Amino acid sequence: MAELDDIIHQPLRLRIMAALNALPSGVGLEFARLKKLTGATDGNLGAHIETLSKAGYVAVEKAFVGKKPQTTVTATAAGRGAFARHVAMLQEIIAASGGKP
Amino acid sequence: MTTPEKAGSTMIDSQQASEALSEINEIARRVRQSRIYNLASMIMIMWGVLTFAGYLVTYLAPRYAGYGWLAVYAAGIAGSIVVSASQHARSGVRTFDIRMFSAFLLFVAFGFFTNWLGHFTPRQMGTFWPIYFMLVYTIAGLWVGEAFVAIGLGVTALTLIGYFFIGDAFDLWMAFVNGGGLILGGLWMRRS
Repeated sequence: MAELDDIIHQPLRLRIMAALNALPSGVGLEFARLKKLTGATDGNLGAHIETLSKAGYVAVEKAFVGKKPQTTVTATAAGRGAFARHVAMLQEIIAASGGKP
Repeated sequence: MTTPEKAGSTMIDSQQASEALSEINEIARRVRQSRIYNLASMIMIMWGVLTFAGYLVTYLAPRYAGYGWLAVYAAGIAGSIVVSASQHARSGVRTFDIRMFSAFLLFVAFGFFTNWLGHFTPRQMGTFWPIYFMLVYTIAGLWVGEAFVAIGLGVTALTLIGYFFIGDAFDLWMAFVNGGGLILGGLWMRRS
Protein backbone atom coordinates (compact mmCIF):
# COMPACT_ATOMS: atom_id res chain seq x y z
CA MET A 1 0.00 0.00 0.00
CA ALA A 2 1.25 3.47 -0.87
CA GLU A 3 1.93 6.00 1.88
CA LEU A 4 1.47 9.71 2.16
CA ASP A 5 4.82 11.40 1.80
CA ASP A 6 5.45 13.79 4.69
CA ILE A 7 7.89 15.84 2.63
CA ILE A 8 5.50 16.32 -0.28
CA HIS A 9 2.38 16.71 1.82
CA GLN A 10 3.27 20.21 3.12
CA PRO A 11 1.01 22.60 1.08
CA LEU A 12 3.70 24.68 -0.67
CA ARG A 13 5.89 21.66 -1.39
CA LEU A 14 2.82 19.89 -2.81
CA ARG A 15 2.28 22.86 -5.16
CA ILE A 16 5.96 22.87 -6.18
CA MET A 17 5.92 19.14 -6.93
CA ALA A 18 2.56 19.41 -8.75
CA ALA A 19 3.96 22.18 -10.97
CA LEU A 20 7.18 20.31 -11.77
CA ASN A 21 5.31 17.05 -12.41
CA ALA A 22 3.07 18.77 -14.95
CA LEU A 23 6.16 19.17 -17.16
CA PRO A 24 7.75 16.51 -19.36
CA SER A 25 10.58 14.57 -17.72
CA GLY A 26 13.83 16.55 -17.61
CA VAL A 27 12.13 19.91 -18.16
CA GLY A 28 12.34 22.39 -15.28
CA LEU A 29 10.87 25.69 -14.21
CA GLU A 30 12.71 28.92 -13.52
CA PHE A 31 12.54 30.13 -9.94
CA ALA A 32 10.58 33.26 -10.87
CA ARG A 33 8.01 31.26 -12.85
CA LEU A 34 7.67 28.72 -10.04
CA LYS A 35 7.17 31.54 -7.56
CA LYS A 36 4.36 32.98 -9.68
CA LEU A 37 2.68 29.61 -10.21
CA THR A 38 2.77 28.63 -6.54
CA GLY A 39 2.08 32.08 -5.10
CA ALA A 40 5.05 31.78 -2.72
CA THR A 41 7.48 34.41 -1.48
CA ASP A 42 11.19 34.26 -2.40
CA GLY A 43 12.37 33.10 1.02
CA ASN A 44 9.59 30.60 1.53
CA LEU A 45 10.02 29.06 -1.89
CA GLY A 46 13.80 28.84 -1.48
CA ALA A 47 13.48 27.07 1.86
CA HIS A 48 11.01 24.48 0.57
CA ILE A 49 13.02 23.84 -2.60
CA GLU A 50 15.99 23.20 -0.32
CA THR A 51 13.97 20.60 1.63
CA LEU A 52 12.86 18.89 -1.58
CA SER A 53 16.40 19.00 -2.92
CA LYS A 54 17.81 17.39 0.25
CA ALA A 55 15.24 14.61 -0.11
CA GLY A 56 16.46 14.08 -3.70
CA TYR A 57 13.08 15.02 -5.15
CA VAL A 58 14.24 18.02 -7.17
CA ALA A 59 17.46 19.11 -8.85
CA VAL A 60 18.47 22.77 -8.68
CA GLU A 61 20.59 24.25 -11.42
CA LYS A 62 22.06 27.74 -11.23
CA ALA A 63 23.31 29.48 -14.34
CA PHE A 64 23.85 32.94 -15.74
CA VAL A 65 21.72 34.14 -18.64
CA GLY A 66 23.68 37.16 -19.78
CA LYS A 67 24.51 38.87 -16.50
CA LYS A 68 21.39 37.68 -14.70
CA PRO A 69 21.54 34.63 -12.44
CA GLN A 70 18.86 32.08 -13.23
CA THR A 71 17.81 29.17 -11.03
CA THR A 72 16.00 26.26 -12.63
CA VAL A 73 14.26 23.56 -10.59
CA THR A 74 13.52 20.14 -12.10
CA ALA A 75 11.77 17.11 -10.62
CA THR A 76 14.10 14.10 -10.40
CA ALA A 77 13.03 10.54 -11.23
CA ALA A 78 12.84 9.84 -7.47
CA GLY A 79 10.69 12.94 -7.01
CA ARG A 80 8.34 11.94 -9.80
CA GLY A 81 7.98 8.47 -8.30
CA ALA A 82 7.30 9.85 -4.82
CA PHE A 83 4.76 12.31 -6.18
CA ALA A 84 2.96 9.56 -8.13
CA ARG A 85 2.77 7.43 -4.97
CA HIS A 86 1.52 10.40 -2.97
CA VAL A 87 -1.25 11.09 -5.49
CA ALA A 88 -2.18 7.39 -5.53
CA MET A 89 -2.48 7.48 -1.74
CA LEU A 90 -4.73 10.54 -1.85
CA GLN A 91 -6.95 8.74 -4.35
CA GLU A 92 -7.01 5.66 -2.13
CA ILE A 93 -8.15 7.70 0.86
CA ILE A 94 -11.02 9.18 -1.19
CA ALA A 95 -11.93 5.77 -2.61
CA ALA A 96 -11.91 4.25 0.89
CA SER A 97 -14.46 6.81 1.99
CA GLY A 98 -16.76 5.75 -0.84
CA GLY A 99 -15.80 8.79 -2.89
CA LYS A 100 -17.35 11.16 -0.37
CA PRO A 101 -15.18 14.01 0.93
CA MET B 1 -16.68 13.75 6.87
CA THR B 2 -14.90 10.41 7.12
CA THR B 3 -12.51 9.10 9.74
CA PRO B 4 -8.96 10.38 9.27
CA GLU B 5 -6.52 7.79 7.94
CA LYS B 6 -2.96 7.49 9.11
CA ALA B 7 -0.27 6.99 6.51
CA GLY B 8 3.40 7.61 7.16
CA SER B 9 3.23 10.05 10.07
CA THR B 10 0.58 12.26 8.44
CA MET B 11 -3.13 11.88 9.13
CA ILE B 12 -5.68 13.27 6.76
CA ASP B 13 -9.35 12.62 6.03
CA SER B 14 -10.95 12.27 2.63
CA GLN B 15 -11.97 15.93 2.62
CA GLN B 16 -8.32 16.99 2.93
CA ALA B 17 -7.27 14.39 0.35
CA SER B 18 -9.83 15.76 -2.05
CA GLU B 19 -8.62 19.32 -1.47
CA ALA B 20 -5.01 18.25 -2.08
CA LEU B 21 -5.97 16.60 -5.38
CA SER B 22 -7.90 19.71 -6.45
CA GLU B 23 -4.85 21.81 -5.64
CA ILE B 24 -2.65 19.52 -7.74
CA ASN B 25 -5.06 19.71 -10.69
CA GLU B 26 -5.29 23.49 -10.45
CA ILE B 27 -1.48 23.90 -10.42
CA ALA B 28 -1.13 21.50 -13.37
CA ARG B 29 -3.72 23.55 -15.30
CA ARG B 30 -1.79 26.76 -14.55
CA VAL B 31 1.49 25.21 -15.70
CA ARG B 32 -0.06 24.05 -18.98
CA GLN B 33 -1.57 27.50 -19.54
CA SER B 34 1.71 29.22 -18.70
CA ARG B 35 3.60 27.10 -21.25
CA ILE B 36 1.01 27.77 -23.96
CA TYR B 37 1.13 31.51 -23.19
CA ASN B 38 4.92 31.50 -23.30
CA LEU B 39 5.07 29.95 -26.77
CA ALA B 40 2.06 31.87 -28.10
CA SER B 41 3.52 35.17 -26.90
CA MET B 42 6.71 34.72 -28.94
CA ILE B 43 4.71 33.84 -32.07
CA MET B 44 2.29 36.73 -31.46
CA ILE B 45 5.07 39.29 -31.09
CA MET B 46 6.67 38.04 -34.30
CA TRP B 47 3.37 38.22 -36.23
CA GLY B 48 2.72 41.63 -34.68
CA VAL B 49 5.98 43.04 -36.06
CA LEU B 50 5.35 41.48 -39.48
CA THR B 51 1.75 42.69 -39.62
CA PHE B 52 2.81 46.17 -38.57
CA ALA B 53 5.30 46.19 -41.47
CA GLY B 54 2.67 44.82 -43.89
CA TYR B 55 0.14 47.55 -43.11
CA LEU B 56 2.83 50.22 -43.17
CA VAL B 57 3.88 49.12 -46.69
CA THR B 58 0.19 49.10 -47.71
CA TYR B 59 -0.21 52.65 -46.38
CA LEU B 60 3.03 54.12 -47.73
CA ALA B 61 3.32 52.19 -51.02
CA PRO B 62 -0.08 50.68 -51.93
CA ARG B 63 1.24 49.46 -55.31
CA TYR B 64 3.54 47.04 -53.52
CA ALA B 65 1.01 45.92 -50.92
CA GLY B 66 0.47 42.51 -52.59
CA TYR B 67 4.18 41.69 -52.53
CA GLY B 68 4.43 43.04 -49.00
CA TRP B 69 1.72 40.74 -47.69
CA LEU B 70 3.15 37.71 -49.51
CA ALA B 71 6.44 38.41 -47.76
CA VAL B 72 4.62 38.82 -44.41
CA TYR B 73 2.88 35.44 -44.75
CA ALA B 74 6.03 33.64 -45.93
CA ALA B 75 8.14 35.09 -43.11
CA GLY B 76 5.35 34.49 -40.57
CA ILE B 77 4.88 30.82 -41.43
CA ALA B 78 8.64 30.18 -41.55
CA GLY B 79 9.14 32.05 -38.27
CA SER B 80 6.30 30.18 -36.56
CA ILE B 81 7.86 26.86 -37.54
CA VAL B 82 11.30 27.96 -36.30
CA VAL B 83 9.97 29.31 -32.97
CA SER B 84 7.85 26.20 -32.43
CA ALA B 85 10.73 23.85 -33.25
CA SER B 86 13.17 25.65 -30.94
CA GLN B 87 10.58 25.66 -28.13
CA HIS B 88 9.93 21.96 -28.69
CA ALA B 89 13.63 21.21 -28.41
CA ARG B 90 13.89 23.30 -25.21
CA SER B 91 10.74 22.37 -23.32
CA GLY B 92 8.92 19.59 -25.13
CA VAL B 93 5.92 21.73 -26.10
CA ARG B 94 4.87 20.96 -29.67
CA THR B 95 2.30 23.26 -31.24
CA PHE B 96 3.09 23.47 -34.93
CA ASP B 97 3.03 19.98 -36.41
CA ILE B 98 1.91 18.91 -39.86
CA ARG B 99 -1.74 18.75 -38.74
CA MET B 100 -1.59 22.28 -37.42
CA PHE B 101 0.10 23.45 -40.63
CA SER B 102 -2.63 21.77 -42.74
CA ALA B 103 -5.34 23.40 -40.62
CA PHE B 104 -3.64 26.77 -41.11
CA LEU B 105 -3.53 26.29 -44.91
CA LEU B 106 -7.22 25.31 -44.99
CA PHE B 107 -8.06 28.32 -42.85
CA VAL B 108 -6.17 30.72 -45.13
CA ALA B 109 -7.61 29.06 -48.27
CA PHE B 110 -11.13 29.57 -46.94
CA GLY B 111 -10.27 33.21 -46.26
CA PHE B 112 -9.12 33.74 -49.85
CA PHE B 113 -12.23 31.95 -51.12
CA THR B 114 -14.43 34.28 -49.06
CA ASN B 115 -12.55 37.32 -50.42
CA TRP B 116 -13.02 36.06 -53.97
CA LEU B 117 -16.69 35.23 -53.46
CA GLY B 118 -17.44 38.56 -51.82
CA HIS B 119 -15.39 40.67 -54.29
CA PHE B 120 -13.87 42.50 -51.29
CA THR B 121 -12.29 45.91 -51.74
CA PRO B 122 -8.76 46.38 -50.33
CA ARG B 123 -10.25 48.13 -47.30
CA GLN B 124 -12.69 45.30 -46.72
CA MET B 125 -9.86 42.77 -47.04
CA GLY B 126 -7.82 44.78 -44.56
CA THR B 127 -10.74 44.48 -42.16
CA PHE B 128 -11.70 40.88 -42.90
CA TRP B 129 -8.31 39.22 -42.33
CA PRO B 130 -7.62 40.53 -38.82
CA ILE B 131 -11.18 39.79 -37.72
CA TYR B 132 -10.94 36.32 -39.27
CA PHE B 133 -7.69 35.57 -37.41
CA MET B 134 -9.00 37.08 -34.17
CA LEU B 135 -12.04 34.82 -34.38
CA VAL B 136 -9.68 31.86 -34.01
CA TYR B 137 -7.92 33.56 -31.07
CA THR B 138 -11.24 34.15 -29.37
CA ILE B 139 -12.51 30.60 -29.91
CA ALA B 140 -9.17 29.09 -28.82
CA GLY B 141 -9.26 31.31 -25.74
CA LEU B 142 -12.43 29.58 -24.55
CA TRP B 143 -10.22 26.51 -23.94
CA VAL B 144 -6.69 27.78 -23.33
CA GLY B 145 -7.06 31.05 -21.46
CA GLU B 146 -8.91 34.33 -21.17
CA ALA B 147 -5.96 36.37 -22.50
CA PHE B 148 -6.68 35.05 -26.00
CA VAL B 149 -10.35 36.04 -25.70
CA ALA B 150 -9.48 39.56 -24.54
CA ILE B 151 -6.92 40.08 -27.33
CA GLY B 152 -9.28 38.62 -29.96
CA LEU B 153 -12.26 40.74 -28.99
CA GLY B 154 -10.16 43.87 -28.40
CA VAL B 155 -8.44 43.80 -31.80
CA THR B 156 -11.75 42.95 -33.52
CA ALA B 157 -13.50 45.95 -31.93
CA LEU B 158 -10.66 48.33 -32.84
CA THR B 159 -10.56 46.95 -36.40
CA LEU B 160 -14.29 47.63 -36.85
CA ILE B 161 -13.87 51.14 -35.43
CA GLY B 162 -11.14 51.70 -38.02
CA TYR B 163 -13.29 50.35 -40.86
CA PHE B 164 -16.28 52.52 -40.06
CA PHE B 165 -14.71 55.70 -38.67
CA ILE B 166 -11.10 56.07 -39.86
CA GLY B 167 -10.78 57.50 -43.35
CA ASP B 168 -7.66 57.40 -45.52
CA ALA B 169 -5.40 56.52 -42.62
CA PHE B 170 -7.12 53.14 -42.23
CA ASP B 171 -3.98 51.11 -43.05
CA LEU B 172 -1.92 53.20 -40.67
CA TRP B 173 -4.58 52.66 -37.98
CA MET B 174 -4.46 48.93 -38.66
CA ALA B 175 -0.66 48.88 -38.40
CA PHE B 176 -0.99 50.06 -34.81
CA VAL B 177 -4.23 48.24 -33.93
CA ASN B 178 -3.43 44.87 -35.44
CA GLY B 179 0.38 44.87 -35.42
CA GLY B 180 0.65 46.84 -32.19
CA GLY B 181 -2.22 44.89 -30.63
CA LEU B 182 -0.48 41.59 -31.28
CA ILE B 183 2.83 42.89 -29.91
CA LEU B 184 1.21 44.27 -26.76
CA GLY B 185 -0.91 41.14 -26.38
CA GLY B 186 2.21 38.99 -26.67
CA LEU B 187 4.05 41.05 -24.07
CA TRP B 188 1.03 40.87 -21.76
CA MET B 189 0.94 37.07 -22.14
CA ARG B 190 4.61 36.82 -21.18
CA ARG B 191 3.79 38.53 -17.89
CA SER B 192 0.71 36.37 -17.23
